[in-house]
Amino acid sequence: MTLNEGPTRGLRRRRSVAALAAAALAAAAMMAGQLAGTSAQAADPTTLTVQADTQMTTFNPFLSYYDGELNILGAIYPTLTMLDDTGTPEKYLADSWTTSSDQLTWTFKIHPGLKWSDGEPLTAADAAWTFNLIMHNATAATSNGSLVANFKSVTAPDATTLVIKTKQPQANMLYLSVPVSGIPIVPEHIWKSHVSGLKNYRNMDFPVVGYGPFVLTGFKTNQFAEMTANKDFFLGAPHYDKVVTNYYSNSDAAAAALTSGELDQIGGLTPAQFNAMSSKSNVMTYQTQSSGWTAIEINPGAKTRTGKPLGTGNPILSDIRVRQAIALGVNRPELVKKVLDGNGIVGAGYLPPGYPQFFWKPSPSQSLDYDPARAKQLLDQAGYKMGSNGVRVAPDGKPLEFRLGIHSDDATDAAIAPYLKEWMTAIGIKLTVNAMSFDQLNNDLAKGDWDILMDGWSTGPDPTYLLSIQTCGTLPEDNGSNGNTDAFFCNKKYDRLYAQQQTQFDAQARAATIAKMQSILYAGNADLILFYKNGLDALRTDQVSDYLQGAKQSDGFYPLQHGFASWWKAQPAAGAASASEKASEQSSNAFKWIGLGVLVVLVIGGVVVLLRRRTAAERE
Amino acid sequence: MSAPEQSPARETPVVEKAPSRLVPVGRFVVTVLRMPSGLFGVLVMLAFVLMAVCAPLFIHPSDLSVTQATGPLLSAPQHGYPLGTDPAGRSVLLLVIWGSRTSLAIGVMATALTMVLGAGIGLIAGHYQGRTGRLLMHVTDWFIALPSLPLAIALAAVLGQGATSITIAIGVTSWTGTARLVRAQTLAVEARPFIERARALGATDTQLITRQVLPNVMPLILVSSTLTVASAILSEATLTFLGLGDPTSVSWGSLLNNAFMQGAVTAGAWWYLIPPGIAILIIVLGFTLVGRAVEHALNARVSPR
Amino acid sequence: MSVGLPLEAPTVSGPEEGPERSDFWVYLARKIGAAIVSFVMLLVVGFVIFSLMPSDPVSALTRGRPTSDAQMNHLRQQLGLDHPLWERFLTFVGHTLTGDLGYSYEYHQPVSTLIADRLWPTLLLMGTSTLISIWLGMWLGIRAGWRPGSALDRGASAVSLALWSVPTFWLGLILLVVFGSGSVGGMPAIFPAGGMQTHGTAGGLAPSHITDVAWHLVLPCLTLVAVIFAQYVTIMRSSIIDERGNPYLLTARAKGLRDEVVRRKHAVPNALLPSVTVIFLQIGGMIGGAITVEVVYSWPGLGYLTFTALRIPDLQLLEGTFIVFSAAVIVCNLIADLLYRALDPRVRRQ
Repeated sequence: MTLNEGPTRGLRRRRSVAALAAAALAAAAMMAGQLAGTSAQAADPTTLTVQADTQMTTFNPFLSYYDGELNILGAIYPTLTMLDDTGTPEKYLADSWTTSSDQLTWTFKIHPGLKWSDGEPLTAADAAWTFNLIMHNATAATSNGSLVANFKSVTAPDATTLVIKTKQPQANMLYLSVPVSGIPIVPEHIWKSHVSGLKNYRNMDFPVVGYGPFVLTGFKTNQFAEMTANKDFFLGAPHYDKVVTNYYSNSDAAAAALTSGELDQIGGLTPAQFNAMSSKSNVMTYQTQSSGWTAIEINPGAKTRTGKPLGTGNPILSDIRVRQAIALGVNRPELVKKVLDGNGIVGAGYLPPGYPQFFWKPSPSQSLDYDPARAKQLLDQAGYKMGSNGVRVAPDGKPLEFRLGIHSDDATDAAIAPYLKEWMTAIGIKLTVNAMSFDQLNNDLAKGDWDILMDGWSTGPDPTYLLSIQTCGTLPEDNGSNGNTDAFFCNKKYDRLYAQQQTQFDAQARAATIAKMQSILYAGNADLILFYKNGLDALRTDQVSDYLQGAKQSDGFYPLQHGFASWWKAQPAAGAASASEKASEQSSNAFKWIGLGVLVVLVIGGVVVLLRRRTAAERE
Repeated sequence: MSAPEQSPARETPVVEKAPSRLVPVGRFVVTVLRMPSGLFGVLVMLAFVLMAVCAPLFIHPSDLSVTQATGPLLSAPQHGYPLGTDPAGRSVLLLVIWGSRTSLAIGVMATALTMVLGAGIGLIAGHYQGRTGRLLMHVTDWFIALPSLPLAIALAAVLGQGATSITIAIGVTSWTGTARLVRAQTLAVEARPFIERARALGATDTQLITRQVLPNVMPLILVSSTLTVASAILSEATLTFLGLGDPTSVSWGSLLNNAFMQGAVTAGAWWYLIPPGIAILIIVLGFTLVGRAVEHALNARVSPR
Repeated sequence: MSVGLPLEAPTVSGPEEGPERSDFWVYLARKIGAAIVSFVMLLVVGFVIFSLMPSDPVSALTRGRPTSDAQMNHLRQQLGLDHPLWERFLTFVGHTLTGDLGYSYEYHQPVSTLIADRLWPTLLLMGTSTLISIWLGMWLGIRAGWRPGSALDRGASAVSLALWSVPTFWLGLILLVVFGSGSVGGMPAIFPAGGMQTHGTAGGLAPSHITDVAWHLVLPCLTLVAVIFAQYVTIMRSSIIDERGNPYLLTARAKGLRDEVVRRKHAVPNALLPSVTVIFLQIGGMIGGAITVEVVYSWPGLGYLTFTALRIPDLQLLEGTFIVFSAAVIVCNLIADLLYRALDPRVRRQ
């Protein structure tokens, strides 16, 4: 006989029911709160919300290298010049400039009457201080050190005059201090006190004192950076009140955010995602020309500065005919078609199509297009006979087996590698693919312990640095240190032309010299440029307009975009938070309400069943 | 695992040799196959192994070749491609079948490494019960404290990505369970009188271990290894998915890693995401069920209830 | 790493060690001593593993940037990367004990700051999943173990087995595609496609923030629970089966108590005792699952931090997370040992 079961059981039953009811209410509240949250979040028309290109870890312009950080720095600090749609320098902080007759002295006239965001005057002294810091402080030279390598002195005789004296004539002076890819000018009165602790200073004292179309007002690690518009910007106020760049570690999450309206613009889509986004309503997908390339570099015989051989690179590759055969054996258009799904341009010249003034293509007679028959013929003639197992053998008996090093965390590298392996097998060369971490690959590269490596670079509008890494001057010393070479390429004529283009102030003459340099590189076959990957981006046409700068090119791609210009010039779309957006919002909300309803019904049903079970036991 | 109990009929006088294993093995196999789970597990195991071994017979290099792939890129199942295509235009079905080779190979090799390490240490620790044994057990206990995935990640980062480092990482992180089991079993076996007699008769340590203890511990190792293969296949898939494997080899983990990195989620490419996981599920289920069935069969034989 | 399904409820290293069993404080001291030794060994192993890698943080710091090689060299000298090994080890130990786990060149922050920032999301994910798994495991395991061989028992075993055989990350991917991407069929994205919160929402304890995080937590938690609850079912089930054999339950039944009451009021509390300690032991196994779930859902916790540290690789950060994870497991094992001793009077009296 149950003595004390009755009241206890009833109490327990009431407690279970109460618990279930509480759970149901919590779930309902959660979904309701979420619905309220998202609808409020998505439709703020005065804030531009975009995806950050990369993560952001510091806003110290002397140490930054992530694109996500550089884009922000370009918007919050001024530079001497900025680039227009065609990549030509125009005035920004500097109203005008002159050069002396010996071309060694530049005099910039700084725009008068400007003030930093904290009210202090913005003068030429700040610019001088910034350049001098980079010139004399090793830590400050981390990001942009080589840009000032040719500077002899930088002074500010008065508040609106900046005088830069160079050791040699420097043709690219106007590209050195430009937004995003160049040196930003920082306020001396703020940064003076941070010089001693520069290495650890992340510049996150909000609002960050600077000058530009925006002011940096907030940041959360691995989440977002927030900027407020500077309506007094002397070149024209931005249309948006705020810009928020959100970091998504996973592009699927970013794509979902664009679809739901949380984001106005995203970039860096994979081809599969690009195709999927193209079919969504209110979303415009577009491709932008590339500022860089993907290539394989072939060890042409790694040597030190004094000519001493370095590393374990296969000496067969120092035979230029083998490298040419490899170039002939790679089907670059097929790579663009299959790996990039057509979203790119076939590679050839060393400088990317994002800078049309420097973009070079080989002549038809010089061009090494895909021709495996010619490759085989070339190898046969050079004495590399086909062996019994399908691998060619050099005259001294060594097989043509090479290591291909790829970046282990790069999906594109992993996609390209099987193609290369198969094409090389077809012409009698065996490739062994080794996936390596970034560090390890660079390590092996510097020591010369490589045969073929995947390589990728991008450049700002001034190609000097990118061209420099192919000069003999960047070869390492005999002990293996102090090298900065890309592929151990060394050609005296190239070096002479490099020195020459640095001093050619006439843009066309300079472009012609650089074209000759690219021709030498192409013929040298140390870097086989596979393709220039287009930027795959998307934006919400119903939320933002005028984001895209420049006009569509004949190949259907837009010119290279810069975050700085897009954020400044973009404006909310007419009728943002319009009826159509509300409708699509409502339909997705409808599903959520349905889900909520189902949840409630289930919970109520569960409670009823429980109650009946308890009372059934009683009823027995 | 409960220590097998002795039944009096087991004790034979005079010379002790490990009893012949042949006749009981046959009966044992039948016992396993009589259980539905055992039967299913063995069938699955055989099917996958057969498929992996015979794959080169019906999959040509051109099916796996990216340059010769003619299918539409990342498309849903259609005529000629029952499971759709991957981003290079190859048939997902053929890729999944081919991927079983690498996944199984790594699973088996990692298990072999685990067994050698674990059983070796367990046997030694159980046999030499003095300082050596205690030291080994402390090392084992301490190793158990290391969480396996962070350790595997650390090892792979240091050893470099690839199948070898994954195999080593799995071996290094899985041996402790086997070591403990084998040690416990060794202790139990060594408590039996026939060991004492063999020792009295002048058997050396090595002879004791290899001829008396090892055969008695072998069934346990067998069970343990089938379960370890299951767990090793899961680990291989996870580590390759995290990018620690060789990105150019075709395995189930690398297929899923590829899918994830190339945006299959946004593209909704379910045909690329589901099959490798189902394959892993089935084979792991198979090995686990076989392991469980073998364990039941051993228990039923030794201590009938 | 897959979370291991034990063949039985795992045993803590208890009664077979050492002669003295009566003095709790001596036991405590011994266990803490062992934990400290484990920790020191951990530091040694961690240091050895991560010192084996040749790395050049300067080339990582300046990659892609126009820095001349002379400037890079100067930076290398500044960072002091050339001291002897033993000196670096002592510095490393000293720093770790004071909470300085090194500097991450990727994030330009001290490793300990990064870890402190990411600790809460991982705790939230693992904690919620553990609680739900325990509740589910209890509910299912107890009922299954009470009537072994019944339909519920066999069903529960089958489901547990199937879920254990599935790779955690794959389950997460499937859930993400179906519920979070809006790309399958006509189904819209009900749950977010990753992350911990919607950008721009208010932080702290605002109700909208809490519901936002909860909404983001649903899928990762569901994935983790699906894979780990099977272990709790097994544990509870075997505990109950062990308890069932006990004579005192016969007495309770003889008293006329209903089966359900016998189970709930007598068997379960006693069966739960050893299970509690096991929960702490399972945490070590759950870390692997948490890492993969965080990666799939971009959940900004320690697991995701470990994954991103693999890229270059950022060795200081990897070392830091490795030490933190392992230390957590050592602490949990210690707690399990102590709880086992404190809670179960039968052990104490041996």
